[in-house]
Amino acid sequence: MRECIFIKVLMPKLIIDKREVDAPEGVSVLEAAQSVGIVIPHFCWHPALGKAGACRVCAVKMLDGPVKGIQMSCMLPVQEGMVVSTTDPDAVAMRRQVIEWLMINHPHDCPVCDEGGECQLQDFTIAGGHGIRRFDGPKRTHVNQYLGPNIEHEMNRCIQCYRCVRFYQEHAGGSDFGVMGSAGRVYFGRFEHGPLESPFSGNLVDICPTGVFTDRTARFRARYWDYDMAPSVCPGCSVGCNITPVARYRELLKIVARRNDRVNGWFICDRGRFAPKEANDPLRPRTPLVDGREASWEEAEDALLRRLNEIVELYGEGSVLVVGSSRLPFEGASLLPLLSGVLSSGAPGWFATRRETRAAHAAVSLMTRENGASMADVMNAGCIAIYESDLREEGPMLLLAVRQAWRRGAPVLLVGEHSPLEQTRAVGIEAVQLHYMEEAPLAIFDRPVVIAGTKHGDPEVMAMLDRTGARIAALFPGPNGFGAALLSAEQGGGPVGAALASGRVKGLVAVEADIPAELLEGIPVVAALDWRATSAVQAAAIVLPTTAPVESDGTYVNFEGRAQKFCRVIRPGLPVKGLDPAGHPPRVHEAAPPGGDLRPAWRVISDLVRLAGGTPPEEPLSGRWARLAGLDPEGEGMVLGGRVLPNDA
Amino acid sequence: MMPDPVEIAFVIAKIGMVLFVILTLAAYLVYAERRLLAWIQDRKGPNRVGPQGLLQPLADLVKLLTKEDVCPPAGDRWLFFLAPAMAAIPAIMTFAIVPFGAPLRLAGRDLPLQVADLNVGLLLFMALSSIAVYGVALGGWASNSKYALLGSLRGLAQLISYELSMGLSLVPAVMLARSFRLSDIVAAQAGCWFILYQPLAFVVFLVSILAECKRIPFDLPEAEGELVAGFHTEYSGMRFGLFFVGEYINIIVLGGLAATFFLGGWHGPVLPGILWFWGKALAFAFLFIWIRGTLPRLRYDQLMHFGWKVLTPLALVNILATAWWLFLTGGA
Amino acid sequence: MRVVDDITAILTGLWTTLKHILRRPVTVQYPEEKRTPSPRYRARIILTRDPDGGERCVACYLCSAACPVDCISMQAEEVEGGRRRAAWFRINFSRCIFCGLCAEACPTTAIQMTPDYEICKRDVMDLVFEKEDLLVAHGGKDARYNFYRHAGIGVTQPRGEGAEERPPVDVRGLLP
Ligand code: SF4
Ligand code: SF4
Ligand code: SF4
Ligand code: SF4
Repeated sequence: MRECIFIKVLMPKLIIDKREVDAPEGVSVLEAAQSVGIVIPHFCWHPALGKAGACRVCAVKMLDGPVKGIQMSCMLPVQEGMVVSTTDPDAVAMRRQVIEWLMINHPHDCPVCDEGGECQLQDFTIAGGHGIRRFDGPKRTHVNQYLGPNIEHEMNRCIQCYRCVRFYQEHAGGSDFGVMGSAGRVYFGRFEHGPLESPFSGNLVDICPTGVFTDRTARFRARYWDYDMAPSVCPGCSVGCNITPVARYRELLKIVARRNDRVNGWFICDRGRFAPKEANDPLRPRTPLVDGREASWEEAEDALLRRLNEIVELYGEGSVLVVGSSRLPFEGASLLPLLSGVLSSGAPGWFATRRETRAAHAAVSLMTRENGASMADVMNAGCIAIYESDLREEGPMLLLAVRQAWRRGAPVLLVGEHSPLEQTRAVGIEAVQLHYMEEAPLAIFDRPVVIAGTKHGDPEVMAMLDRTGARIAALFPGPNGFGAALLSAEQGGGPVGAALASGRVKGLVAVEADIPAELLEGIPVVAALDWRATSAVQAAAIVLPTTAPVESDGTYVNFEGRAQKFCRVIRPGLPVKGLDPAGHPPRVHEAAPPGGDLRPAWRVISDLVRLAGGTPPEEPLSGRWARLAGLDPEGEGMVLGGRVLPNDA
Repeated sequence: MMPDPVEIAFVIAKIGMVLFVILTLAAYLVYAERRLLAWIQDRKGPNRVGPQGLLQPLADLVKLLTKEDVCPPAGDRWLFFLAPAMAAIPAIMTFAIVPFGAPLRLAGRDLPLQVADLNVGLLLFMALSSIAVYGVALGGWASNSKYALLGSLRGLAQLISYELSMGLSLVPAVMLARSFRLSDIVAAQAGCWFILYQPLAFVVFLVSILAECKRIPFDLPEAEGELVAGFHTEYSGMRFGLFFVGEYINIIVLGGLAATFFLGGWHGPVLPGILWFWGKALAFAFLFIWIRGTLPRLRYDQLMHFGWKVLTPLALVNILATAWWLFLTGGA
Repeated sequence: MRVVDDITAILTGLWTTLKHILRRPVTVQYPEEKRTPSPRYRARIILTRDPDGGERCVACYLCSAACPVDCISMQAEEVEGGRRRAAWFRINFSRCIFCGLCAEACPTTAIQMTPDYEICKRDVMDLVFEKEDLLVAHGGKDARYNFYRHAGIGVTQPRGEGAEERPPVDVRGLLP
């Protein structure tokens, strides 16, 4: 009996559109309806921002129960015995009239609005039954603001849902954007023209249900129904936010946030969103090169192996170095030791300096399943210490998570000289600066979390972070940093910079690695596998062009050891734009796109291994990594512990 | 006995003339059919090649000759090439026994306008029409294609069934003329055409020859709605042309035979016999086309049902009635 | 009786077709004779201009989305003054089925159907029309409409001065 009451209290039962719904206490009627697939039009309510009751569109009629009559479903918590109708004529009429009223001032510019086709206002206007404008009076207009190079402002389209300002000020802690004016003149913008300052301002584009904020970098480029899209992972840093890159005509146009409650929630940072679209770079290597001359794949691969074998014969084993990086997808990274093997070189190098290498090794061995911190752990932390890291650089979305913890009362401590106060100011946090980790009183708080950067962190201190009793989030230099550190720690990979500077290395294979040009001078044979025009590609005698992340499937392992799959968005090839001087696409038809003969790095590595007499696996993720091969790109990913390898689990 | 060289020359001349006339007529029959069908459907039909489109048959011929001659790779090559000839040649040969005009008197000799006046002419006609069935059967078989095979199976069953009623419907004519020789049958009608004595036999014969030349409403072997093109689905170019031309030659020959058996052959007032004969034959051709423009295609079971359960009994009863009548009147 | 009915039916059919043999055919002898299509006939497609001579098409992609055979493709771009237009616009007339759905979808009356149905070409690539080939110098069936006068964005006139618009509000004003 007690149990029965217990369940009743926790899960009120209500009836929505004649369907029985069990909803956890505290959720709104709107969410309860959504949980069973009944969509109630809404603008101001957003799953990440909650309710505001501003738009009045989510009206439903309560037929029976504790509340009666027309109610705003987003404002009404579920209660036992409610009988809700979303289709009652009164509710439908209410919604239609509210939408009609919202549309009174809405301009007639869908055809020239970039939101058109992915616009919540369009969808709910039609869904709400308001198809034809009846009011023919004049519309109020606004003057737009210049909000920087990334975001376009078109205030006429605003429907006053307050989502933007709620996100910008409350969620992201920005202070330079807000709501002004009164009555019918409310205005959402800055006090004066100028770029938005928050490092998360780009989310206004996603969160505004209308076309007030649109992505300026993709202005007037394509429509939603023509987009090439696929679930992907941001390559910007080791947080591994889930994104949807948007492309058209083989050109990457923009990045949109993709929801993953285990990682980034609903949002992403501006660094990831507005990063330069390097996949479109006309200078990218697109054909294999041997001594600057275009060559076939076979020719270039032969030349690479022949020349490096000569080096080995001449200078002995260990004279060739294979270098990977934190941006090399895990598929390629996991095959790199095989390539080192057939070239008789030692373990591949992954990190630039000795300190960074040791910090990465220390970090990866700390983060077992028990004391690694996930994004959710950060958000729910009772106290947060940021150790030697500028999160704006190393993991901006963690900063947003830190702010959510701070809003719940968690103090934020900045430890070390490389943790500037500006980072917390950017999200409106009051933080305390400390010099040493020992000064941080983590033990007196519940659920403490340390966020440590491997870029500047002291390896000795990092290795002992778990003694603080806190959960630890260590940040790596690239999207697959954890994967690189894991492989490096296993094989004892050394620092690349020291190896190159020692002069012992006579042959170098740089696999999607960024190596400073001065370190490459004087190395007789440099080969580069890359999709960017890096200094290694410039210096290399042999260039094997690989696919950019948006051009192939792959896996990144993010800072907490979460392996996440990303999918191909674009078929490799030169963007259609600019192919024909006449301006339109070429008037000849070819089966394969020009400049499209690129291969994923793992495929090139495995070809090289086979040509050199080794036996590469058929599939990139096999053997002990086979469990990563079947990852659902739209799922939550899979966490690998630092000490717990996937096949031991 | 040495054959008379003049006679031989005359026979060869007749053969040449008949061949020429028949082939030309067949070609123009195609043209006539297309024009007539067009008119029936309120269209104009082919009118572009030459004046009023009169050179259309030539254009068709050139087209057919220059088309690729395809043989299905899984087909039986030899049978596949043989079948069209098997369909066209018996049709032409049948005309050898048809008297197409009053005998000429030339240089004191009687020259029959008939290639071969056999005393078993009617039986030869029956035999040749049975051979023509092989064209259909082999063509469909050799193509090794399901539509062609289905078409040829239908063709076989249909031709054999209707041959029976056709033969039976001719028996009264033979009984009346007391001869299998076609010139005798024509001569027997000098006074009164057999159609007047034998309207029922005429109708049975007419329906049977419609089925025999696979014309609408009996064109099931090539029913394009169901079987693409039936037994000649896989044929192209001039081999298809032979099937096609064979069908039209058949129309002329069977029309001529219908005239011979029931409409008094070349007999007729005022005009010369040869004109009467061709007039009657072409009237039948017109009738065939007209029917094609009017009637829909029968269903296969209806066709077999009609042949076996209606036409054959009717023809048999008719034979018995004729015999009874001949017995009563003591001969014609 | 059925047999009599059937025979009558066959004879009636024969009589009907015989009458038609004697009728005048309805065929039009194209190309010697040509019909004049109605002005609303759906054939070769054009891109029209607004009364001020500007390109009407704003490259909104609605026509290409509406096209059931996907024969329209384009790329939008922004030009000086904030005007949106097609950088290139291509219709593949060898695929077009002249259904008119594009013209129906167009919010600016830019894309219109014309009665010019004679667009056969020897080379199929000549049927791929680019923007230069499609753009005409007139307004087609509706010469008066100018989308930008109603759109609410300041392209052909300053913001707030278009039709059905009030001047921009003063955000800092405190009057109700
Ligand atoms: S915001 Fe939406 S409804 Fe408004 S103009 Fe843009 S697409 Fe149209
Ligand atoms: S600008 Fe967008 S998000 Fe902000 S209130 Fe207006 S419609 Fe809502
Ligand atoms: S008429 Fe129809 S098929 Fe042709 S372009 Fe327009 S929408 Fe496409
Ligand atoms: S629908 Fe009209 S305005 Fe839009 S792209 Fe097509 S032609 Fe241009």
